[in-house]
Amino acid sequence: MQKKAWLQPTLEVLDV
Amino acid sequence: MANAEKIVLSDLITACEQNIVSDMGGEKVMLSVRNGNYYNLGAVGGRIWDLLVSPVTAGTLIDELLKEFDVERDVCERHVISFLEHLRKEGLIVVRPEHSAALRA
Repeated sequence: MQKKAWLQPTLEVLDV
Repeated sequence: MANAEKIVLSDLITACEQNIVSDMGGEKVMLSVRNGNYYNLGAVGGRIWDLLVSPVTAGTLIDELLKEFDVERDVCERHVISFLEHLRKEGLIVVRPEHSAALRA
Protein backbone atom coordinates (compact mmCIF):
# COMPACT_ATOMS: atom_id res chain seq x y z
CA MET A 1 0.00 0.00 0.00
CA GLN A 2 1.40 3.37 -0.99
CA LYS A 3 1.81 5.67 1.98
CA LYS A 4 0.24 9.12 1.96
CA ALA A 5 2.23 12.33 2.27
CA TRP A 6 2.53 13.63 5.81
CA LEU A 7 1.55 17.16 6.75
CA GLN A 8 1.92 18.40 10.30
CA PRO A 9 -1.55 18.21 11.86
CA THR A 10 -2.83 21.55 13.11
CA LEU A 11 -5.96 22.58 14.95
CA GLU A 12 -7.29 25.77 13.38
CA VAL A 13 -9.90 27.67 15.37
CA LEU A 14 -12.36 29.10 12.86
CA ASP A 15 -13.76 32.61 13.36
CA VAL A 16 -17.36 32.16 12.27
CA MET B 1 -1.91 21.60 37.21
CA ALA B 2 -2.18 17.97 36.10
CA ASN B 3 -3.85 18.94 32.82
CA ALA B 4 -0.68 20.68 31.65
CA GLU B 5 1.53 17.58 31.93
CA LYS B 6 3.21 16.54 28.72
CA ILE B 7 1.43 13.73 26.91
CA VAL B 8 3.46 10.51 26.72
CA LEU B 9 3.06 7.47 24.48
CA SER B 10 1.44 5.37 27.20
CA ASP B 11 -1.32 7.92 27.89
CA LEU B 12 -4.85 6.87 26.96
CA ILE B 13 -6.59 9.35 24.64
CA THR B 14 -10.38 9.59 24.56
CA ALA B 15 -12.35 11.92 22.29
CA CYS B 16 -15.04 13.97 24.02
CA GLU B 17 -18.51 13.12 22.76
CA GLN B 18 -19.84 16.67 22.71
CA ASN B 19 -18.53 17.42 19.23
CA ILE B 20 -20.26 17.54 15.85
CA VAL B 21 -17.91 16.54 13.04
CA SER B 22 -18.28 16.98 9.29
CA ASP B 23 -16.07 16.25 6.28
CA MET B 24 -15.59 19.26 4.02
CA GLY B 25 -13.49 18.78 0.90
CA GLY B 26 -11.23 16.17 2.44
CA GLU B 27 -10.74 18.12 5.64
CA LYS B 28 -12.56 17.59 8.90
CA VAL B 29 -14.44 20.46 10.52
CA MET B 30 -15.79 20.20 14.03
CA LEU B 31 -18.17 22.14 16.25
CA SER B 32 -17.60 21.84 19.97
CA VAL B 33 -21.01 21.92 21.63
CA ARG B 34 -19.21 22.51 24.92
CA ASN B 35 -17.50 25.78 24.02
CA GLY B 36 -19.29 26.78 20.79
CA ASN B 37 -16.08 26.96 18.76
CA TYR B 38 -15.58 25.67 15.23
CA TYR B 39 -12.32 23.93 14.37
CA ASN B 40 -10.62 22.82 11.17
CA LEU B 41 -8.58 19.68 11.82
CA GLY B 42 -7.27 19.41 8.26
CA ALA B 43 -6.69 16.11 6.48
CA VAL B 44 -4.12 14.51 8.81
CA GLY B 45 -5.80 15.89 11.92
CA GLY B 46 -9.08 14.48 10.64
CA ARG B 47 -7.51 11.05 10.24
CA ILE B 48 -6.20 11.26 13.80
CA TRP B 49 -9.71 12.15 14.98
CA ASP B 50 -11.08 9.10 13.14
CA LEU B 51 -8.61 6.90 15.02
CA LEU B 52 -9.87 8.32 18.31
CA VAL B 53 -13.31 6.79 17.72
CA SER B 54 -12.49 4.52 20.64
CA PRO B 55 -9.99 5.17 23.45
CA VAL B 56 -6.43 4.51 22.28
CA THR B 57 -2.95 5.16 23.65
CA ALA B 58 -0.85 7.84 21.98
CA GLY B 59 1.69 5.15 21.07
CA THR B 60 -0.89 2.97 19.29
CA LEU B 61 -2.22 6.02 17.48
CA ILE B 62 1.26 6.88 16.21
CA ASP B 63 1.94 3.27 15.16
CA GLU B 64 -1.22 3.33 13.05
CA LEU B 65 -0.29 6.65 11.44
CA LEU B 66 3.19 5.32 10.59
CA LYS B 67 1.53 2.52 8.60
CA GLU B 68 -0.49 5.02 6.57
CA PHE B 69 1.81 8.02 6.15
CA ASP B 70 5.30 8.53 4.79
CA VAL B 71 6.94 10.07 7.86
CA GLU B 72 9.79 9.31 10.24
CA ARG B 73 8.77 8.07 13.69
CA ASP B 74 10.42 10.89 15.65
CA VAL B 75 8.79 13.54 13.44
CA CYS B 76 5.40 11.82 13.69
CA GLU B 77 5.65 11.54 17.48
CA ARG B 78 6.58 15.20 17.88
CA HIS B 79 3.80 16.43 15.58
CA VAL B 80 1.10 14.15 17.00
CA ILE B 81 1.92 14.87 20.65
CA SER B 82 1.82 18.61 19.92
CA PHE B 83 -1.52 18.20 18.12
CA LEU B 84 -2.99 16.13 20.97
CA GLU B 85 -1.89 18.72 23.51
CA HIS B 86 -3.70 21.38 21.49
CA LEU B 87 -6.84 19.20 21.37
CA ARG B 88 -6.63 18.75 25.14
CA LYS B 89 -6.16 22.49 25.70
CA GLU B 90 -9.38 23.12 23.74
CA GLY B 91 -11.21 20.47 25.77
CA LEU B 92 -11.80 18.18 22.77
CA ILE B 93 -10.08 15.10 24.23
CA VAL B 94 -9.43 13.61 27.65
CA VAL B 95 -5.95 12.28 28.43
CA ARG B 96 -5.50 9.68 31.15
CA PRO B 97 -2.14 8.42 32.35
CA GLU B 98 -1.55 4.71 31.83
CA HIS B 99 -1.85 3.80 35.51
CA SER B 100 -5.14 5.68 35.77
CA ALA B 101 -6.48 3.88 32.68
CA ALA B 102 -5.47 0.50 34.11
CA LEU B 103 -7.41 1.19 37.28
CA ARG B 104 -10.58 1.78 35.24
CA ALA B 105 -10.21 -1.43 33.21
